[in-house]
Amino acid sequence: MKNSIIFILLVVAATFGLVFSAKHMSKGGTAAAPDFTLKVLGEKDKTLQLSSLKGKAVLVNFWATWCEPCKVEMPWLVELQRKYGPQGLQILGVAQDDSDEETILAFSHKMGLNYPILQGNNHMNDLYPSQGLPLSVYVDRNGKVVQRVVGLVSESVMEDAIKQALGQGSSSDSTKSTASAK
Amino acid sequence: MKTNLLALFGVMLVLLAGVARAQEQTDKVTADPIDDQKVRLGGSVPLQFNFHVKQGFHINSNQPTEPELIPTRLTFSLPEDLVIGKLKYPPGSMISLAFDPKTKLSVYSGDVVVHAALLTQSKSATGNYTVHAELKYQACDDSACYPPKRLPMAFNVKIVSGARSGPKARPNAQSPHIHN
Repeated sequence: MKNSIIFILLVVAATFGLVFSAKHMSKGGTAAAPDFTLKVLGEKDKTLQLSSLKGKAVLVNFWATWCEPCKVEMPWLVELQRKYGPQGLQILGVAQDDSDEETILAFSHKMGLNYPILQGNNHMNDLYPSQGLPLSVYVDRNGKVVQRVVGLVSESVMEDAIKQALGQGSSSDSTKSTASAK
Repeated sequence: MKTNLLALFGVMLVLLAGVARAQEQTDKVTADPIDDQKVRLGGSVPLQFNFHVKQGFHINSNQPTEPELIPTRLTFSLPEDLVIGKLKYPPGSMISLAFDPKTKLSVYSGDVVVHAALLTQSKSATGNYTVHAELKYQACDDSACYPPKRLPMAFNVKIVSGARSGPKARPNAQSPHIHN
């Protein structure tokens, strides 16, 4: 009986640890990234389907104009797209914003974004649920999610995850950099 | 025994996941209830709205430093017999967050008090009314921001006849509908 109680307490402690550490970062590796088709802002009648990018590593970055940490990571994303684009990376910015297209585009231009900006919607909240922004979902060349990160992390953590998605090695210790970004 | 433990384990997992999700979805701002108000015809009463920002979070002040940021704003839905005088928001605290030390943000954290005045007009009718108010805010923590939310509130007001107990309603006070 005593052993059972100890076992239960251990299970509870371990589960709490797992649940709360998963709040910000979780590793995928087996789950397919939910497919979506979204309007490309600034390009008339053009849409983009995630599954059409199979063969590329994709970083789906959810953001909003009112999200200050999203803004902080944008210059890093621009640099990472420039650096890893030729190796097969495609960053997609999904604007989860109530602002109109003109406002979102003006903001994107101001930030100098060099990757497509897609108009998010409520359905994307169902496909990629997250309470907070930014949300970055790293998808490998086979369309599998390799990492999902809520909140701002350092540029090196993002680069690490991109390399993992590109198949250039796995992210070593992601939690250390989450802390360093704070 | 083993089966019982496994079942218990399963139940705990579900419960803990639920607790974690509920915590994430908890409102980042709460409001104190507002007492019933009594105001004389042609008079006014001061109002105080007390909000509490959850520890570890901040919300933009009423005058954020950047145009894209969503200001904290209190709006009202009033019967025609009542008017809200100019709202007085506290000044925001200027902070820089660890992730972006160069940018200054004007934010509220902890306890936030907004003052206002509730006025009647000379043509107002005596009686009982309900005022609906709503705080719109957008919260962030050290690394993430959360979608804008609305916090609804309501309080009762009784307009009574009698001598004026406060300043007369100003003709240029806000219109008796939705305000900020």
